[in-house]
Amino acid sequence: MTRVIEVPATFDDRSFEQFAAAFGQWPPEEKILIDARGAQWASPFGLLAMLTAGQALAEARRERPLFTIPTSDEVKRYWARAGFFKYAAELFELHGKLPKATASGPSDVLLDVTPVRATEDVHEVVEKISQGASRILHGELGLEMKATLRFSMALSEACQNIVEHAGTSGWVAVQAYTFRRRLGRRVVVIAVSDAGIGFRRSLESTHAKRFGDRWGDGAALEAALIQGVSRFRDPGRGQGLAFIKRFLDQWNGKISIRSGTARLAIVPPWDEDVPLSDHLPFFPGAQVQIIIPSQDAETR
Amino acid sequence: MIQTIRIGTLLRETVASPYRNLVTRPTGAAIRNRIQAAIADSDCHTALLDFSDIELLDLSCADEVVAKLLLDEGGERGVRFVVLSGLREDQHEAIEHVLTTHRLAVAAMPGGEHPAPRLLGWVTADARAAFAFLCERGALLAAELAGALDWPAARAEAALEALAVHRLVQTDGDRYQPLPIG
Repeated sequence: MTRVIEVPATFDDRSFEQFAAAFGQWPPEEKILIDARGAQWASPFGLLAMLTAGQALAEARRERPLFTIPTSDEVKRYWARAGFFKYAAELFELHGKLPKATASGPSDVLLDVTPVRATEDVHEVVEKISQGASRILHGELGLEMKATLRFSMALSEACQNIVEHAGTSGWVAVQAYTFRRRLGRRVVVIAVSDAGIGFRRSLESTHAKRFGDRWGDGAALEAALIQGVSRFRDPGRGQGLAFIKRFLDQWNGKISIRSGTARLAIVPPWDEDVPLSDHLPFFPGAQVQIIIPSQDAETR
Repeated sequence: MIQTIRIGTLLRETVASPYRNLVTRPTGAAIRNRIQAAIADSDCHTALLDFSDIELLDLSCADEVVAKLLLDEGGERGVRFVVLSGLREDQHEAIEHVLTTHRLAVAAMPGGEHPAPRLLGWVTADARAAFAFLCERGALLAAELAGALDWPAARAEAALEALAVHRLVQTDGDRYQPLPIG
């Protein structure tokens, strides 16, 4: 038996729930086919979700999953230039005609899909992003120059969470695009995803008792993002997410974290997202999305 | 005597690459170890950490390099002083954030938008005022500070003692003197 997981035509953090639900019990017993033929667009979050699923299946020692690439030439070219297929080929048996390799990514890809396996990778990510961040953040989005460094700090802290807490490797991608549906403005989106143990298991030994019966994926996300706790007792830990929240508050940005069966978001006024969603379909690891919108004249 | 430690040089030697970004906890811990080794080999009573070659300093590294160094170098009063220099505004911010969490403080040399020495981290408003006054006027007694700022003697003494406990001023008997950072 093969279970077909259809990739949503527009694959972002919202349609992700449809993708996660299609796996059923985790890890699925059947062979998996991820069908992206009908895909029209994927955010960095969507691209990383597909790789994370492939990684989690490999780590669960399931049969190598199949992946049918998008039919649209434009979509597959874009995914290729964002670096998606380079890593998808390691995790999936790819079906369909891949576009020819291109020398460099599109100009709105600040950081193509990049694996985060160790501390050295975080250094690489920060080096790479510093080259294009100021052009996009200052030039296009109208953020102050100093925001560029804070942005790199936020990215560094988000990637370090994988190395320090996930128990496995993960992925990061950063892209700028126009957020027509929800905001009508240009945004920069950071997506970070891993197939690791998730927030609940990471924090369980040090914080579950305090929450009693309330303990679960949602409570763990609240503890990490709202209360700034860490699995380490060192008071210097857990500051990364606190810093990211402060930075986003200043720039009217948004952060959402999905882990296990829950999702928590700090929702800015321009969005209508639900702050906490619980009892969602299980998905391995943790998926973080950070959105920074262009600043209007009032904010600048 | 002041020992200047160039953090950019330590970073290049530690990660064996041309990076100017001080990021990640393991890197920060390695840099801190190098700083502590340098301090241990020196007779100087003040270590000046020069960040001028550093581009980005993330919170994890600020915590590992500065906060943990202060925690380790703390303890017995009057043994070693740490001062920072060459910091940019975002680096000030990162260090301020982590030190406040630990209820620590450090002095930073003038530079950039800050023409006078300043304190980063967790200190009372009185201690900040006393520090600014001390840096401007030089060594003084608590009674002199009280007279100058029109404070009760106990308030001036508490502010200066708070600075001494955080190793932000030197003491010589009853006199408090600024660190050599002006």
